[in-house]
Order: sequence, then structure tokens, then C-alpha cells
Amino acid sequence: MYGFVRRGDFWSGLALAGLGAYILSEASRWTYMGEDGPGPGFFPMWYGGAMVALSLLLVAGTALKQARPGKAPSIPELRRALTCWVAFAACIALMKVVGFMVAFALLSWFIVAVMARQPQKVALPVAIVGPVIFYLLFDLALDVQLPTGLWF
Amino acid sequence: MELLAGLLHGFQVALTPAALMMCVVGVVLGTVIGVLPGLGPSATIAMLLPLTFKLEPTGAMIMLAGIYYGAKYGGSTTSILLNVPGESSSVVTCIDGYQMARKGRAGPALGMAAIASFIAGTFGVVALMLVAPPLARLSLAFSAPEYFALMVLGLAMVVLLAGESLTKALLAMFVGLWIATMGTDLFSATSRFTFGQAELLGGIDFIIVAIGVFALGEVLGALEGEKPAEVLPVPKGWRNLMPTWDDMKRCRFAFVNGSLVGFFIGILPGAGSTIASFMSYGIEKGFSKHPEEFGHGAIEGVAAPEGANNAETGGALVPLLTLGIPGSNTTAILLAALVLWGFKPGPLFIQDSPELFWGLVASMYIGNVLLLILNLPLVAVFAQLLRIPGYMMYPLVLGVSIVGVYSVSSSMFHLYLLAGFGLLGYVMRKLDYPSAPLVLGLVLGDSMEKALRQSLMMSGGEISILFRPIPSVLLAFAALLLVVPLFKKFNAVRVQVIDKEA
Amino acid sequence: MKLAAMAVRAAVGAAAIAAAAIAHADWAPTKTVDIIVHTGPGGGNDLLARAVVTMIEKEKLSPVRMQVINKPGGNGAVAAAAIYEKKDDPHTIGFITSVWIAGPLTTSEAKITVHDLKPIAGLILEPAVFAVRADSPFKTLKDFIEVAKAKPGTLKQSGGSVTSRDNIVRQSLQHATGAKWQFVSFQGGGERLAALLGGHVDIMVIEPQEAGEQVRAGKIRVIAQLTEKRLAGYPDAPTLKEAGYDVTTTPQIRAVVAPPQQPAEASAYYEKLFAKLKDTPSWKKYIHDNQLEEGFSTGPELKKTIGQIEKELREVYTQAGIKVVR
Repeated sequence: MYGFVRRGDFWSGLALAGLGAYILSEASRWTYMGEDGPGPGFFPMWYGGAMVALSLLLVAGTALKQARPGKAPSIPELRRALTCWVAFAACIALMKVVGFMVAFALLSWFIVAVMARQPQKVALPVAIVGPVIFYLLFDLALDVQLPTGLWF
Repeated sequence: MELLAGLLHGFQVALTPAALMMCVVGVVLGTVIGVLPGLGPSATIAMLLPLTFKLEPTGAMIMLAGIYYGAKYGGSTTSILLNVPGESSSVVTCIDGYQMARKGRAGPALGMAAIASFIAGTFGVVALMLVAPPLARLSLAFSAPEYFALMVLGLAMVVLLAGESLTKALLAMFVGLWIATMGTDLFSATSRFTFGQAELLGGIDFIIVAIGVFALGEVLGALEGEKPAEVLPVPKGWRNLMPTWDDMKRCRFAFVNGSLVGFFIGILPGAGSTIASFMSYGIEKGFSKHPEEFGHGAIEGVAAPEGANNAETGGALVPLLTLGIPGSNTTAILLAALVLWGFKPGPLFIQDSPELFWGLVASMYIGNVLLLILNLPLVAVFAQLLRIPGYMMYPLVLGVSIVGVYSVSSSMFHLYLLAGFGLLGYVMRKLDYPSAPLVLGLVLGDSMEKALRQSLMMSGGEISILFRPIPSVLLAFAALLLVVPLFKKFNAVRVQVIDKEA
Repeated sequence: MKLAAMAVRAAVGAAAIAAAAIAHADWAPTKTVDIIVHTGPGGGNDLLARAVVTMIEKEKLSPVRMQVINKPGGNGAVAAAAIYEKKDDPHTIGFITSVWIAGPLTTSEAKITVHDLKPIAGLILEPAVFAVRADSPFKTLKDFIEVAKAKPGTLKQSGGSVTSRDNIVRQSLQHATGAKWQFVSFQGGGERLAALLGGHVDIMVIEPQEAGEQVRAGKIRVIAQLTEKRLAGYPDAPTLKEAGYDVTTTPQIRAVVAPPQQPAEASAYYEKLFAKLKDTPSWKKYIHDNQLEEGFSTGPELKKTIGQIEKELREVYTQAGIKVVR
């Protein structure tokens, strides 16, 4: 059976080879060796090249290595984690509009109520108290600027 | 005996009620700042500068210095409990510290961080006091070629951080090098990998990557499960709150390692506490009798870097106070403060202003003791933090990460970057790519490239400049580091072959 | 900390509004004025801004509080964009340095440049000096240049980025005299000084304030100054012009700008504010202690200066082979 890790290695290896190729192409546009010493292209050429070489090695390795008896990837698990990530990214996007307090309250509520499936009587207080504590601690007491949106 | 006289005089100054108060305020504030990720001592000191005009300069300096080294004590707290580095140099503490917390040993981890910080911090002050002027001359002997060799040695340590797959560790490191290259090139004013974004002209701040990859990656990983369990086991009973005598014995070498490495790297203006903590961790693992424990909760993996980043503060004060050369952002502000108050940091500083120098040194002894007394009980307090159920902890971590990043960059763009790195951190976890090499590459890559180009500019292209005495020694160590594992593998294969034939 | 400040602010704000209503005279700010700077806390402009805020408070020149907002990144591009976004806000100003003029010339990412902002007043000029180690064989700048001509590429200068004043002066001198010496960029001032002190480079351009203590301790020597008139601290070192090198030195200015559509009365207020500031004893002390040069100019004068600096920079960069993108 194909181990998840092995398949992961295959695809990530390819992705990294792609990144390495991109780095090499950018680096070729810059001076490799100037009159005073290495130019801006020198360093990226080297690690870009190394990246391509090693990632191809990794990809080749997936074909040769025995499949490891690893856990099968749990699609539900991945989906949960990625949903959380989307929520986080959305929270940041919202921050520009509604400000830190509201966006963070929404995110907290989402995690407690939806991800952790806690009852509303737990989720709502957490969602409300959390941002307030942050505000008191950071904005008021420590004078650290919190992202503000159109409303607060 | 001039030393003793100076020190006595210093204690006289430092033990006055006013100075003591300043010391207490400084170290407490420093600890708080250190605990909160993102908010660093340099920003706080800059903000407090105007207030210090109303204070007497020696007292003000004592307070600011207290914030400086106090922050290093606090930085380990969120690193251990939440896998969120409180301060750039606390990143390394996350590696083993968080793993210890996951095994229910958060208390000993926090306690050991405080103890190692105390031992190394005190060593730093002693060294500052005894050998400052001659060491200053040593620090001047270090220039680009020496820094380059030092960075190569640091990067060679990736071998020690590798774990199972060296290939993946190297790939992670190269990605780190790539991120380090982003921004405006110092030497040619070319923009590299900025994707047309003005915000990327200055590169990506390391703390954003660290918080994203470590903390967010962790949270996303934890939220996979249907019922996220309690985050971390709470240490039960007083016995489990502190490091045991066994732990202390194990860390003997780590204390020495952290103190020496931290202090020596501190005196070099071009190398900072993050490098010091990485080096010290690498050396600890390299000399350990059980290196396989590192990365899974070895207590020495907490003691060495925490000690190093504290000893580094003592070291960084050497060029500042004896040459007037600041080695980092924070020391640069301290320099500005001294100038503002009318002092003249430079080669004649100790001569001209002995009360300030000795008063400062004495206050640092006192400060380190105060911090130890302050931080040990705090271990119990912070350990209670672990009682918070998982589902409340995660929003807390996310919120703290956001605030931390925003306080450093004041920009939404960087928050998006944070989200991106969080995803990267999660993907790396799932695919078994170690994250420490990425951070190592990011921290060292920039300095290494600059040092190489500066060296070649200084020598007019002659590569022989890299083989001056000091760089040669360092490069030789690096080569050893890279070659020895290959020998081991080769040997293992050879033994296998021999066994088969037998 | 902030709670008390808020209360005071409210009281002062109320009083100011009342006063303005009664006086019915020139415009004055009614809420906190934001000063946007392009460095993080502790950076050059940040410290200047905080010092200015302190001085304005001390000399009681403003009815309201002023606060420093840090918008670091992109060599000023991020801060420029932040100021631009405030369009017609009368309560925002920004502090700029020559980097704001130089940056956009070589980086195409900057969308907003200093030309999109409204110049208010010039504040300070930052002079610099040429320094060598105390045991160096070069007694004058001429000595150095002679050797650089005779043995091109052997002498080294430590400095900042290749677009910085350090290199601009070098390029101008090389162009004018035919000499050639290496330039080694270091990120921080401390590293540059360490390179000189350690004997790894032969000369550097350094700010008088940084050099002061080293000179006093006898570690370095100043052999020429990049100023119009000799500085009080260095009566024996000739200026570049006096030494016979009449080249572009591109002054390092620190000045005040405002959002592009700020109402004229507000801008006039700020121009007057800084004009008043420059005559106060705190300001004079600050200039003296930090060994800066008084460089006050009005809005229109500042605009001209900016244009001039940009022209010079463009010339020098093109000559030096640095890619200019606009």
C-alpha cells in the first residue's frame, strides 16, 4: 500500500523542485558575479540549484523506498484543520473591516462552538470575554496597537 | 583590587532604595514583555525613553537594562506552554520545551529555563566585569570572514537538527534561506523575491515566520481531532513543578555551554541572541550522550539555549560599554539613551563614568537574583494556565499570535503572511518536514550571505581571505560536523555488509 | 498608563475646542496628532519624532498631544502609503529622511513616493565626516585619494547600502578624481565602525555623533567633513570644498510632510509650529548635543530641496551603474 508520507514526499518534492526552478530563473536575471564580488544572483543560484537537486532526490526516493506502514491520511482530519485555517484567514480579512475585537470574537466563537462542539452557554461567554481581556491587557494597559477596522 | 573597589562602589549605588526600585520595575516589566510574544524589549525601551528624562540617569539605565535582560527570562514561558516564541531568541526553547510540556513536564521546563537563565546571566555579568576591555579587542578582530565562518558552522548544525530525513531538513533549510533572501539587496539595491509588494522590500521578519510555523502549525494540528483534548497535562503536585536533582545534574554541561557560547557570541556586534541560542543547542546535542532525546523533550534542550540568550545580554554590553558599538536593535537604543542623558559610551566610558558602569554591573547581579526569585513561583502560576481547556486555549494562542505580529509590524499584510506561514507549518507537520532547520536557515542565511559578500569585497575577490586563522578553525569544525554523520552512515553500512558476509 | 492620558487628553481637547471657538482665530488641532515614521521603535526617525514630541510638550507649543505611529517597511514605502491614505486628515503628519527620496529611484515596488505627499517644513541636516584609524598613514583626504589613484581597488571604505550617502560621496569623488577604492556595505553603524576599528577597512563616512567618543579616546581621526561650514566639534578638519573637492554630497535631510489633501490652514499651522520649535532652547540643545545642523526650511523651500536632491541622486546613481527605475 502507498503510505501517505511517501505520497506526500512525492508531491512536496515536486513542489519544491518547482520552487527551486523559479528561484533559479529569477536569480539568472540578476548579476551572478559583480566586479566587487558575488552579486545578488550568486546565493539564490546555489541554494536554488541545491533545492532542485535535493527535491528531485526526494521524489526519486519515493519510487525506490518501500512503502512505510504509516497511518492513512484521515480526510476528515485534514478537512477540520483546513476549515480552521480558512476561519483564521477570514478573521484576518474581516479585521480590516470590523476591527480586532469583533473579528477575534467571531473566530473564538467559531472554534469553541463549531470546532470543539461546546454548547452555546460556553461558547458565547468565551467569545465575548476573550476580546475584552485582550483589549484591556494590550490596548489599555500596554499601549500596544490592535488592528482597527471601520467601526472600532 | 581596583575591580573590587569599583564593584563595592557599584553596590553602594545599586542598593539605594531608588535604584532598587528602578531595578524591580525594570525586571518585572521586562518579564511581562518577554512573556508576550511579539512585543520586544527594544520597542518598550524606546517607548519609555521620554519618561526617563524625569529620572536620574543611573537609575533609568538600571531600569532599562532590567527590561533588556528580564525579557529573556520571560521569553521562554509561551515558548514552553504554547509553542509560541515570546522573543526571537526563545524559538529554540520551543523545540524541546514544548515537548516537555506535552509530557506533563511544563513545570520543570519553566523552572529550568529560569535557573539556566540565572546561572548564565550571572556568568555574563561576571565576565562583563572582569574581562570587558580585552574582550572588546577580540570582538574587533571579528569581521566579515569570521562571521561567515561562524554562520556556516551554525548552518552545519542543521545536521544535528535533522531527525530522520536529512534531505527534508536540508530542503526546509533552503526554504528558510529563500525567505531570508527576500527584500532589497544591501549591496546592489536590487529587489529580490518581493513579488511587487512594497511591504516585502524589508524582508520578512523572522518572528512572523516563527510564530506562524510553530504556533499556528501546532494549533491547526491540534484542531484536527474531533474532540480536542485538554491541551497539555497539568503537572500534579509540588514535586513535579520543579526540575529534579537529576535534571540539574544532566544540565551541568548545558549551564557551562549556554554561558560561554552566549557570552562570546554576545560580544560580536554582528551576531545576536538567536544565533547564540541555536549554536548552544547544537553544541549541547552534539556532545550529548543521548542526542536522540533532543526534539522530544530533553531538558538540556531548554537549559542550553535559555542560558545562552541570557549570557548574550552580558556579552552584548561589552562592545556597547567599552567601544560604544551597539550589536543589536536593543543595544542601539540603550546607546541612544546613554547619549541622550549626556553620557559618552566609548573607549573612555568606564573611566569617565565609573558610577554608571559599576552601578549597572552591580544592579545586574541584583536583577538576576530578583528574576530568579520572581520567576520560580511564577512557574506554579503559569502551570495553572494549563488547566484551561483546549478549546479556550486555541483562540488564546491565535489571538496572542495576531497581536504579537501586529505589534511588530503594524500591518495587515504581515497578518496575511502569518496566516500563510501557519498553513505552511501545518503542511510541514503532516509531511514530516522538520521546522527548526527552516528557522535556522532564515536566521543565519541573511547574515551568511552578507558576510560572504563583504569578505570578498574586502579582499577584492580573493577567496583566501576566508582562510585567515579564526575562520579556518570555524570552517574546519563545520566540515567535521557535515562529514562525521556521513562516516557514521558509511560505517553502519559497512557493518551491515560485514555481518551479512559473516 | 493610557487611562490617565485619555482623561487628560479629553480635558485638553475640550479646552482646545472651547478656546478655538472663542478665539475664532487660526486653525489648531483638536485631537491627537499622529506623526508617522518609517522606522520601528528605536530607529532614527522614531527617536527624532519622540524627541520632538517631548520638546513640543515641554515648550508648550501645542494644545494637544502628539503621538508617534510606526509604519516600518520598504525603506519608507509603507509609511509613505500610510500617510497618503490619510488624504485630507488635518491631524496626521509624517517625518521623512533622504531615504524616502532615494528609495523609489531604485525600487519599482514603491507605489507612493515623496512627491505624492505635501511638504511642510525641513527640520535638520545631518552632517558627516570622513574618519580613519588613529594609526592610519593618511593625514588628509588628499593622501587617501592619491593612494587610491595609484593603487586602484586596494583601499576599502565601510558604509551602508550602495544607495546611501556614504557611497554617493565615494562615487562623486571617484568620478571627479579618477581614484578608485572598494566599498563594503554593512547593515548597521556598529558593524561599520567595528570594521574600521579592527583594521579591516581603511576609511569610513561616519556621523559626528557616532565618531565623537572614538575621537576623544584617540582611536580614530577625522580628516574631512561633509558640511557647508566646519562643525564646532571639528575645527581642524577641512570641509570637502575647502580640501579642493567640490562634489555633490547630497545632504541628509529630516523633514515633515503631510497627506496630499490636507487643508491649507492645518499645513500652515504645522509649518508655523516647527518654525517656533526651532527657536526654542530645547531644540537648540538637541541640535548641539547630537551634533546636527540646523536645517529649517519652509514648505515651498522643502519642495525645491527634494527636487534638487532627487536630481543629484539620479545623476550619481546612473554614473555609478546603479539601476534607476523612475
